[in-house]
Amino acid sequence: METLGYLIDGFGVALAPHNLMFALMGAFLGTLIGALPGLGPANGVAILIPLAFSLGLAPETALIMLTAVYAGAMYGGRISSILLNIPGDEPAMMTCLDGYPMAQQGKAAEALAISAVASFIGSLVATIGLILLAPLLARFALTFGPAEYFALFLLAFATLGGITGKNPMKTVVAACIGLMIATVGIDNTGVQRYTFGTLELYEGVDFIIAIVGLFAISELLFFIEARAGGGKAKMMVNKLSLKWADIRNILPSSLRGGVLGFIAGVLPGAGASLGSFIGYTLEKKVVGKQGYFGQGDPRGVAGPEAGNNGASSGALVPMLTLGVPGSGTTAVLLALLISLNITPGPLMFTQNADIVWGVIAALLIGNFLLLVLNIPMVGIFVKLLSVPPMYLLPVVTMIAFVGIYSISNTTFDLYFMVAFGVAGYLFRKLEIPLVPIILGLLLGPEMEKNLRHAMDISDGDWTILWDSGLAIGLWLFAGLGLILPYVVGPILRRRMHRAAGSGGPEAD
Amino acid sequence: MRYNDRTFGILMIVLAVAYGWGATQLPEPFGGSEAVGPETFPLLLAVVLGLSSLYMILRPDPDNAWPWSRTGIELVVAVLVLVLYAALLQPLGFILSTTLAVGTLCWRMGSTPVRAYLTGAASGVVVFLLFNFALDLALPLGLLAFLEVS
Repeated sequence: METLGYLIDGFGVALAPHNLMFALMGAFLGTLIGALPGLGPANGVAILIPLAFSLGLAPETALIMLTAVYAGAMYGGRISSILLNIPGDEPAMMTCLDGYPMAQQGKAAEALAISAVASFIGSLVATIGLILLAPLLARFALTFGPAEYFALFLLAFATLGGITGKNPMKTVVAACIGLMIATVGIDNTGVQRYTFGTLELYEGVDFIIAIVGLFAISELLFFIEARAGGGKAKMMVNKLSLKWADIRNILPSSLRGGVLGFIAGVLPGAGASLGSFIGYTLEKKVVGKQGYFGQGDPRGVAGPEAGNNGASSGALVPMLTLGVPGSGTTAVLLALLISLNITPGPLMFTQNADIVWGVIAALLIGNFLLLVLNIPMVGIFVKLLSVPPMYLLPVVTMIAFVGIYSISNTTFDLYFMVAFGVAGYLFRKLEIPLVPIILGLLLGPEMEKNLRHAMDISDGDWTILWDSGLAIGLWLFAGLGLILPYVVGPILRRRMHRAAGSGGPEAD
Repeated sequence: MRYNDRTFGILMIVLAVAYGWGATQLPEPFGGSEAVGPETFPLLLAVVLGLSSLYMILRPDPDNAWPWSRTGIELVVAVLVLVLYAALLQPLGFILSTTLAVGTLCWRMGSTPVRAYLTGAASGVVVFLLFNFALDLALPLGLLAFLEVS
């Protein structure tokens, strides 16, 4: 019942007029970002962070706005999957399977509306799960000592690639690079490390500059390389004719998808793409012969769509309770928390209760806003799909420049951002994942601090790192996170590809 | 062809060695050494990076093609535009430098020059007005400083 009281307080925060306004703005911007070509959720949130920062928003307002952006981007991503058969991000892959056939049959508006409803239900289920699970996990996390935290950080890195990831060793390389960048600057003992006497480096590398550079600038370079400057053809959407029976028809699928997605989102290493994949295959098994999956079955849109939205809310659980994000976008949200001077982790639930519960309440309200926003305004978002990237990306780059410039008003940061952009382009070419680099930058100082505390407690005895049962368990899972991709990864990847590739009803 | 991963792996090993050596050169902190000094964590990282890079050299993934030829030049041009944008932001002012930078990028990405620079100018003016008046964040006017309303 304690939780309910906090939640009501949270609604008090989230329903304050200016917070509500920023939530609405965030939801709208997020859908826009999701719908526009070449702007993923992580990228979009990253570009908006410096702006939220230089606007001087209160911590809870900034967080509410960017959570709404996050939820909105998930909504927006499905528009291109359904209309163009191009998944905006990996989790949206499964939505293409039945969404695109529906659009071809002239039922694009219905497909979009169904996916909006399913997304809403998925997020709702997952947010309720978040409300129930997060306080429990936070209380449990209070028993963690520094050694357990150190092992937990390792687990976070090891599972970041997910069990469907391609080459876990590249995740390790990327994490090391990020952690190394994090060691630049003056450390806890007052020693300068790797600053080469440059004044700008004394305070370390600002991770917001790194994130915006790695994501936004490298995206621009990729578009230039792909010569994808031209826009897509204009899309027409038919008039919506959705009956209550249609919604009732997809309700069970959405609920199942939402629950599965939430579980996949909470567990380390599973992630949203696996969530929507399991959602889709389970739907096919449950519905069985009566379904016509792959040929425009609305349930095939609802299941994975609820799954991937459930997963994105589920991914907030480890981020809020342990301070360890499980996905790229939650890593970017963690960056926002750290730069607002809020220490993420279990203590946040007691020390910054208004912020945590405000954000959770904002998630509920945001989803409702998104549903209301999405059904009538889908026409506008569809038009955005045909904005040619040759105009869009330069303008987005300019906004990234303005955002970074407005933090400190120095040009040094801009050069730094461009350098990170070029590095990001090279990393992506080499298939070195960017998210572990960012996570390394964010978690580096915490990780070193916990190592130092653990060693102080044990008086320099390294065995303390795997001394408790909990720590051993975490090390074990971290090891599995690196080994499993080699064992089951190829099988799972092949299955997902077969399902996505042929899209036929006989594909398993 | 599996040169990319090998080359990158070698570079990373060089980095790991240099970084690790740098760590051993760090001065002892004021107040004597501790179990975990400033060099412990970096040394750990250097070892892990060295080993994982070694794996990349031994088991490299197939290469992605690099864009030599014209696309490569376009990329270099784009990076140069971004560097110049950063350099000219303060001297030229936000509106002029944005017009040039966004315009050139749009043009190189395939727009007609007139529409490209119009997009640049329009976006520059809109963002400038938005920031200076709606959001109260001063962006530099540079050469256009004479327009300033005091």
